Amino acid sequence: MTEPAGRERPLTVALVGNPNTGKSTLFTALAGIPTRIGNYPGVTVEEKVGRFSHCGRPIDLIDLPGAYSLRAQSPDEQVVSDVLGGRMAGVPRPDCIVAVVDATNLARNLFLASQALELGLPTVVALTLSDVAAERGIGIDVEALARRLGCAVVPVVAPTRVGIEALGDRLLSAPEALPPRPPDLAPHRAAIDGSRPASARDAIARYAWIDTVVAEVVQQAAPPRRRLADTIDRVLTHRVWGTLAFALVMLALFTSIFRLAAPAMDLISAGIDSVSAWAESILPAGPLRSLFVNGVLAGVGGVVVFVPQIALLFLFVATLEGCGYLARAAFLMDRLLAGVGLSGKSFIPLLSSFACAIPGIMAARTIENRRDRLLTILVAPLMSCSARLPVYLLFCGAFVPDIAVGVSWLRLPAVVLVAMYALGVVVAAAVAFVLSRTVFRGPPQPFVMELPGWRWPQPAVVLERVREAAWSFLTNAGTLILAMSIVLWALGSYPKPVFPDAPALAEAERQGEALRQSFLGRAGRVIEPVVKPLGWDWRLGCAALASFPAREVVLGTLGVIYNLGDVDPGEEEGATLLVRRLKAATWDGTTRKVFTLPVALSLMVFFALCAQCASTLVIIGKETGSWVWPVVTFTYMTALAWLAACATFQFGTALGW
Amino acid sequence: MRSLAHVGVGVTVSVVDVPGADPVSLRLLEMGLTPGVNVAVVAAAPLGDPLELELRGYRLSIRRREAALVTVAT
Repeated sequence: MTEPAGRERPLTVALVGNPNTGKSTLFTALAGIPTRIGNYPGVTVEEKVGRFSHCGRPIDLIDLPGAYSLRAQSPDEQVVSDVLGGRMAGVPRPDCIVAVVDATNLARNLFLASQALELGLPTVVALTLSDVAAERGIGIDVEALARRLGCAVVPVVAPTRVGIEALGDRLLSAPEALPPRPPDLAPHRAAIDGSRPASARDAIARYAWIDTVVAEVVQQAAPPRRRLADTIDRVLTHRVWGTLAFALVMLALFTSIFRLAAPAMDLISAGIDSVSAWAESILPAGPLRSLFVNGVLAGVGGVVVFVPQIALLFLFVATLEGCGYLARAAFLMDRLLAGVGLSGKSFIPLLSSFACAIPGIMAARTIENRRDRLLTILVAPLMSCSARLPVYLLFCGAFVPDIAVGVSWLRLPAVVLVAMYALGVVVAAAVAFVLSRTVFRGPPQPFVMELPGWRWPQPAVVLERVREAAWSFLTNAGTLILAMSIVLWALGSYPKPVFPDAPALAEAERQGEALRQSFLGRAGRVIEPVVKPLGWDWRLGCAALASFPAREVVLGTLGVIYNLGDVDPGEEEGATLLVRRLKAATWDGTTRKVFTLPVALSLMVFFALCAQCASTLVIIGKETGSWVWPVVTFTYMTALAWLAACATFQFGTALGW
Repeated sequence: MRSLAHVGVGVTVSVVDVPGADPVSLRLLEMGLTPGVNVAVVAAAPLGDPLELELRGYRLSIRRREAALVTVAT
C-alpha cells in the first residue's frame, strides 16, 4: 500500500472552549460517537477523540476539557494548554484549532478564544448557540468579528446541524490559510499600572480589547425583556422555593436510582440465576461447574447488576447538567458542605451514594476541583448504600427488642435503622472535616462557578454520557471485579474438605464443613483474636472476610457458615430460618449465645462504616488513577469500623444490654 | 470604596479592581471582573453564601470570601 504523503494523514483538530458552550453537542454533530476514550498520561483528565471524514479527508477531532483560560489553574486546563502547545506526550500538536464561542456570552468566551489566537495555529471560530442569541435579540456581525479576530467565523446550531458542513470546509482549508492575527493588546496594557503581575495586566488588557470588539460587532436590540429564564432562575435559587424544588428534584433522583432501577436489576439477577441453573444442568458436578457458577457467573452478575443504577443516575445527572440545574444545586448546597471542607458540587455524588457508592463516585467527575473531588470520593462509601439495608433489616428485626421509644408508634428497631444511616453521614462529615484540615490542608479552595443559562438538554449528549458511564464501568471495573470474585471463590472452595466417616451429613452441613476447612475458614479462625473484642466468634469474622467483594454476601455466608445452605436475603422464609439459626448459634464448645444485642449492634456498626465492597475500591482506583486511594479508603474505613464496632460492643456489654 | 462581599442583593455596582496577586484574584479577572465592569448581585444562596452575580451578560457564583477580593465603587 502506498499512501501519497500528506494526503491521507488525518488532520488533527482540537476543540477548545469554555464549559457550557455547546462544545459537547458540537463534538457529537461533527464526529458522532468518540472512537477513542482514555486518560491523558499521568492525569485523570479524560481524553476523547473522534475520527470522522469530511470530503474524503480523515479528521481526528480532539475534544479538550472545558477551560476558562490557557493560563492553567486546574489539571483540566493544564491538559488544554499542553495539547495546544504540542507538549502532551502521545498527542500530536493539532494542525488546526476550533475555538468554540458561545454567541450568547461573547465577551467572556472571547477571552479564551483570543488566547488561542496567539498560539500561531490555524484557527476557526465556531459561533455556537447563535439561534438562542438571535432569540434574545443579540445580533452579531459575523463578518466584522472575523475581521477583528483575523480568522474564519462560522455560526453553527449544532443540534440541527446548521453550519456543520461549512465548519468542515473551513477546517480543510484552514491549514492553507494565513495564520490568525494575534490581538493587539499592547496599547491596552500600556494603560495599566506596571507594578501588577504580568498575568493580571494581561487579563485586564485582554478584556479592554474584547470590549472594543464587542462594541463593534454586537448589536443588542432594545433593553432585553425580562426573560423566562430569569424567572426560572429567580424561583430555583430562591430561599424557600429554590430549597423546596431542590428537595423535590433530589427526592426524584434518589427514588429513581433506588426504585426505578430495581425491576431491571431483578431482571438481570433472574437472568444470571437461570443461566446458573442451565449451567448446573449441563455441566457435570465438580470444580469446573463450581468455578463457572459460583466464581464466574456470580462475579459477572455482581458487576452487571449495577448497570441500571449507573445508567439511571447518569441519565439524571446529564439531563440536570444539560439544562443548567446541576450548577444551581451546587450553588444551593455549597454553604452546608463548605462547613466540612467540601463544596456544593459534592452533593449529588454523596446523595447518589446512598443508593450505591459506585455511581456516586463516578458522578464525582462533575467536580473540576481535584482536591474536592478526591475528598468527595473518599467519604462517599460512608453513605449507607442499598447493600447495607438487608444487613440492617435482618439484625434490627431479629436482635433489637421491639419496644416503643417515647411514643408508642416509634419502635426501637426503626430508630436503630435510622441511627445507622445517620452514623454514616456524621462519620463522613467528620472524616471530610479532619482530612480537609490535615492531609488536604492548603490554601482555601476557591468557588468560582458559572451558572450557565437555562436551556433544553441535548438528548444526543445525554445519551452519550449514559453510554460512556455504563461502558467504562463494564470494561474498567468489570474485569477486575470478576477476577476478584474468582479469587474469593477459590479461597472459599479450597482445599477440598475431608469429611470424617461420620453418618451422612445433610447437604447444608457438608457446605458448612467445607467452608470451615477452606482457606477462608482457616483465615477466619486466625483472625478470631482480632474480632473477639467486637464480640464476634471466628465464624462471624469469616463471614466479614468473605463479604469483602460485597456486603450483601454476608447474609449468604452466615447461612452457609452456620450450616444452613445458601440463604437468599430477599426470601422471607429463608430469612426467618436464618434468624432462627443465628439465634441458636453458640460459641464453639459452650452454650453461650453468639448473637446478643451488643453483638448485633457491633456487627451493624461495622458494616455501616467498613469498606467491604471490592467494586467500590476498584472504581476508586479507576477514577483517581492511582492505587493509593483505594488502599487509603480501605484502611481508614476498616480501622474506623473496627474501633466503632468495638466501642459499641464494649459499651453495650458494660451497660448490660 | 468597599468590597463586593458587602453589596446587598439586588444592587448593581461597578468594579474598581481585583488588586490581589494570588491565583483566585487572577481567576476573577479572567472571568471578567475587570475594572469598570458593572456587576449585579442577583441572589444569595439560602444559607447566605455563595452569591449569584450577573456581569457581562452571564451568571457567576462566588463565595463571599472571593467576593471580598473585589473592590467596587458605590
